[in-house]
Amino acid sequence: MDLGIALSRPVQLDCRQDILLEASLRRRAELRRSWKGFVSAKTLENLGSLAPEIESSLSEQNAVRDWRPVATFAWIHCDASFSDCLRLIALAANVEYRPVDVRPAGFSLEDLKKRSLADRLTALCARYRCPLNIGIPSESDVAEELLRQLMVLDRTTLGGGAECDVDMVLLKLNLVGIRAMITRDLRMLDALNYFYELPRRLWTSLRANPRLLVFWLCIYAQLLRTPDWQQCRLP
Amino acid sequence: MQVAVIAGSISAGIRIAKEIEHIPGVDVSVVLCNVGMRSPLLRWSRELLLALGSLKWATFTAKLCSYVRRGRIFILRRPLEDPTSIQYLRSLQFDVGLHAANVIYREATISAFRMGILNAHIGILPKYRGRSVAQWSILQGDPTGVTVFFIDSGIDTGGRIVLREFIPSKGCNDVEALRNRLFSCADRLYRQALEALGRPEFQFERNNISAGKRYYVMSKMLTGVVNEILSN
Repeated sequence: MDLGIALSRPVQLDCRQDILLEASLRRRAELRRSWKGFVSAKTLENLGSLAPEIESSLSEQNAVRDWRPVATFAWIHCDASFSDCLRLIALAANVEYRPVDVRPAGFSLEDLKKRSLADRLTALCARYRCPLNIGIPSESDVAEELLRQLMVLDRTTLGGGAECDVDMVLLKLNLVGIRAMITRDLRMLDALNYFYELPRRLWTSLRANPRLLVFWLCIYAQLLRTPDWQQCRLP
Repeated sequence: MQVAVIAGSISAGIRIAKEIEHIPGVDVSVVLCNVGMRSPLLRWSRELLLALGSLKWATFTAKLCSYVRRGRIFILRRPLEDPTSIQYLRSLQFDVGLHAANVIYREATISAFRMGILNAHIGILPKYRGRSVAQWSILQGDPTGVTVFFIDSGIDTGGRIVLREFIPSKGCNDVEALRNRLFSCADRLYRQALEALGRPEFQFERNNISAGKRYYVMSKMLTGVVNEILSN
């Protein structure tokens, strides 16, 4: 290691880990206190029987499940629907899945961009019927593209107060959050941080899809309690 | 070598031009582009006032007059990617452009310069592409620094790296101080890059983008973490 590299190393690794962990737990405590400010009473009401589970997950010390083993499979299959799978993941419940050797045909990002917004949503929900598949290594390009769209296009649109496709933005936030759970990629966690930090007035539009909104918050809450982000070092 | 500083402000253009004008064989011009498409008169009056306020007005004005007298200041009235601007840039036959404007370049603009446009990126390529890269480097315990490379129309994906310099973060107590330190090295590194390009034995380093990731604007939470790391 040359002198330049040595001098530029700011602090010891464990110190950085501690600071990051502390900041995450502070944010988790803040979310626990303030989530009802984001999700209105009416939104909760619309969730029906799901509401108590969500309330308990966000207000109390939520469980965290380690999904990293999923990344070792070529693909996984679940019998549950997309929505049910997402609910189980968001609530850190058990997802009944089985590994399969053959993954579906490649997903062309170029084709995806050419589709209408509604078609894109359907295509993503169909491919990631078991949303854990977004964390599989072969899906890295799709995950990168979703992250790029969130942090470049959606960030600008939503941040500027313009109208955006709320369902699509929330779906991307959920998928990127799940990818973060599996890969421990800090950039993916930070996309969720960024959207969480948007001014509260911009959250009004996000309430249009209460299920995806609360699932995203539950996934975010789990990520904030994930202790080992130090393993996200890039190759 | 005909070099043009592509600047969004007169002060940035003149500052960089001053740094590189003494390199043997380099002929410097300043191309001013109106980034926000605001009234040029208003913008430049404001800049002159700021220069007066900073008490550097005598040096600044003398330098500016010298460039104007020699016909080395060019003003683009239309956006940089406008065909008229590209045509104009082509007619000026520059070899190298130096990026000093807050714009993203399209392929047609880049190819208006024989060798291309150099960018002083405040991160170490190929590992750190995109935004907030100085902060991300600190967060991940990697060295901070500046990379000078020829851009393409992607985000920090241009294949030819001219030089890289590791610049320690020691002594910077927050992100702003760190960014200022890195940005303050850009003019010198542009000079060193042009000097390197003039050497017959010079060889580019390849910007292998598969060896890195693209980063995005950092959240307030992680920026706070980086500030705390730096202040420790």
